[in-house]
Amino acid sequence: MADVMMESSPLDIQRLRQAIRDEYTAVARSPEQGFHFHTGHPLARLLGYDDAWLDGIPDGTIASFAGTGNPFRLGPLQPGECVVDVGCGAGFDSLIAARMVGPQGRVVGVDMTPAMLAKARASAAEAGTTNVTFHEGYAEALPVPDGWADVVISNGVLNLVPNKSAALQEMARVLKPGGRLQIGDILVQKPVPESAKRQIDLWTG
Amino acid sequence: MAAGFVGFEIPWRADVFGGAPQASSAASFGTLGINFRARKPRNEQEWLDALGALTCVIAPVE
Repeated sequence: MADVMMESSPLDIQRLRQAIRDEYTAVARSPEQGFHFHTGHPLARLLGYDDAWLDGIPDGTIASFAGTGNPFRLGPLQPGECVVDVGCGAGFDSLIAARMVGPQGRVVGVDMTPAMLAKARASAAEAGTTNVTFHEGYAEALPVPDGWADVVISNGVLNLVPNKSAALQEMARVLKPGGRLQIGDILVQKPVPESAKRQIDLWTG
Repeated sequence: MAAGFVGFEIPWRADVFGGAPQASSAASFGTLGINFRARKPRNEQEWLDALGALTCVIAPVE
């Protein structure tokens, strides 16, 4: 009976986005409170980030790191490249990318959670990083021109996007021909019933 | 592939949630962290070649 009732009520996208925003506002403001995922330095070590990549990245941004993979283990970014970080959070991967691409490169971070963007901008200013900008937006509608990016990175975000097909098409749109997608995310090993996909607490927890 | 990428690959996956401060309600689905890569085709021909390389085997009706 419960399944039948859930089948009849579609996923409320706005409510889902607000729940995700609330969760990641907490990760931005109180990363020490503990979540159903690891965060910060211990997580970066678990995911294979080189300690040298973290040098100079402000502690606040490291503490709010909540990725599920490591885009940089998929291949290095080259000096001068343009990078889009989809769901950049507090700017952890964006700031690493900004250093890798150097002063001739550019990084655009996009996120839908204002508290994360505020932290990312503050960290970029604190680190003196001038080749990165942060913008509010959704993965399904990236505020980036067609064919601008050499590389699109993302980390632990695509699983939280309601319309994954639209997000991937947006990533393809902003990439140059031959551009690379380097993503950390989540894989589920067991089928997820349609009714479960409508449970917002499963998306956020 | 449907989104317009070629060369999709998952070269790494691991349990990245074990031992987290809170239990995950999605853990029963066997969630793993992964890294995946893909590439936008360099040109129309590379895209057509990738589509042409797709195979679909359908068993005969018995």
